[in-house]
Amino acid sequence: MATQIDPRGPRFGASIINVLSVIIFFVALDPATEGTAAFLFGIAAVLFAIGAIWGNTKHPFGWLYKTLVKPRLSAPKELEDSRPPQFAQGVGLFVSLIGLALYAAQVPFGVAYAAAALFVASTLQAYFGYCLGCQMYLGLKRISVIRSV
Amino acid sequence: MSLELRIGLVIALLVVAALAGLFWKLSTGRALKASGLDRIDLADLGVIKNGQPVTQLSTRVTFLQFSSDFCTYCAPTAKMFKALETTDSNVTHLELNITDRVDLANRFNILQTPTTLVLDRKGFIKSRIGGAPKAATLVSEIGNFDI
Repeated sequence: MATQIDPRGPRFGASIINVLSVIIFFVALDPATEGTAAFLFGIAAVLFAIGAIWGNTKHPFGWLYKTLVKPRLSAPKELEDSRPPQFAQGVGLFVSLIGLALYAAQVPFGVAYAAAALFVASTLQAYFGYCLGCQMYLGLKRISVIRSV
Repeated sequence: MSLELRIGLVIALLVVAALAGLFWKLSTGRALKASGLDRIDLADLGVIKNGQPVTQLSTRVTFLQFSSDFCTYCAPTAKMFKALETTDSNVTHLELNITDRVDLANRFNILQTPTTLVLDRKGFIKSRIGGAPKAATLVSEIGNFDI
């Protein structure tokens, strides 16, 4: 159901994913440490799954935002629909699973490619206010990737 | 892979992400001229406003906004159009949620929401705006129409 949330919460979460994804990217570039990168991707996948299923406010980063960041900020100017950021969590989960699948298939630099995609997406969301749901939902639906959500 | 090369690739990634963000910021919400040959039939689309079916276009300019449920900028965009509508009687704003209307998304080739079609008094599509428009863009769009 549609609830209204503080728009800064998901962007705070995206900024943490942003840092995590660039670390994964760096670690994944060295074949000796690619396993560590895949492990970090696994953690990211679990976090995305929580966000995609239960929403950003139930997410550990949502909880961090609420307890540590929000008390130090002024009240939000306006609230936003909870569904677009939840959709973005699903996209994040998909990219993480692709990264893990590429690792399992031993594709050279597969984890690095997926981490790079995650980094670009989280940069756009955290610092530019890009909305993945706005840009992707209809397109995915038009090519029948999504039937109904 | 050497440490220098890995650091170089990280820097390249940062640059690519920043450029992608800037490109999106600059391109979103801009009005692009349409052929002006396609015509909208409101009754056919089933546009509802304030609980009533809409059949009348504005005598000057109508903004037909396509929205979805997974859209952060749809509600603020609608709010902006509503404010414009109350100050300018020549402007009409209509909103259509196409979350479950793939047929309409295909017909008008809509890939993102909000997408706004700018219609003249006869319903011809004069331009389209992908993303959340800026106030100045709307003012200049309205300026393109004669009363």
